[in-house]
Amino acid sequence: MTSPPRFKDALEVFARHHVDLIVVGGVAAVIGGAPLATFDLDVVHARNSANLDRLRNALDELDARYRDPAGRLLRPDASGLAGTGHHLLQTRCGPVDVLGAIGRGRTYEDLLSDSAAIDLDGLTIRVLGLAALIQTKEEAGRDKDRAVLELLRQALRGSARLERP
Amino acid sequence: MEPRDPAASGDFRELDGNDSLIRWMMSLSPAERLQVLQGFVDSIGEFVRDQSTAIQRRP
Repeated sequence: MTSPPRFKDALEVFARHHVDLIVVGGVAAVIGGAPLATFDLDVVHARNSANLDRLRNALDELDARYRDPAGRLLRPDASGLAGTGHHLLQTRCGPVDVLGAIGRGRTYEDLLSDSAAIDLDGLTIRVLGLAALIQTKEEAGRDKDRAVLELLRQALRGSARLERP
Repeated sequence: MEPRDPAASGDFRELDGNDSLIRWMMSLSPAERLQVLQGFVDSIGEFVRDQSTAIQRRP
């Protein structure tokens, strides 16, 4: 049986282990103000060795394993997490996708300047902004990305209007 | 008389239906937006559990 998503609980574990990551995907879109639904937490992590150690500790605490259709118990390892691939994991806080890069190969370092530290009632997390999120989804060009693009663009326009003095 | 620019006036009623929802989301704090998502996900989970139980009880 898979665990239902508990987004903030998962983020708290990453924060407790001081993992350098950027929240992307649907959760970033919602935090940015887009009214959409998602069931997984997508993060792009820094791939230096110290951060990979912290990430592995956090994933251990989350009891992370790959979402394997064959039902095998496969755990993420350091060598895999060091690459730019996508690790689609099930955790005790629901599905978590740990991504080495998104869009046209954008890494944590590439995305950092387009992200902001956001306070979630005492929990500070780094979240990708809507404009950059749109750009990475345009680059990815998958059907599921294209399906939400117009809503993200509307949300970006809405946020710009509200920020206007 | 010049036509009003809904964007400039901030009048979302003249924009499409998603905009009122977007405007409401934008009025929330980031933490509250995440709570909205969590609430939606929880309600879907509850619905699925109820449906499973109902199916199991069918004769």
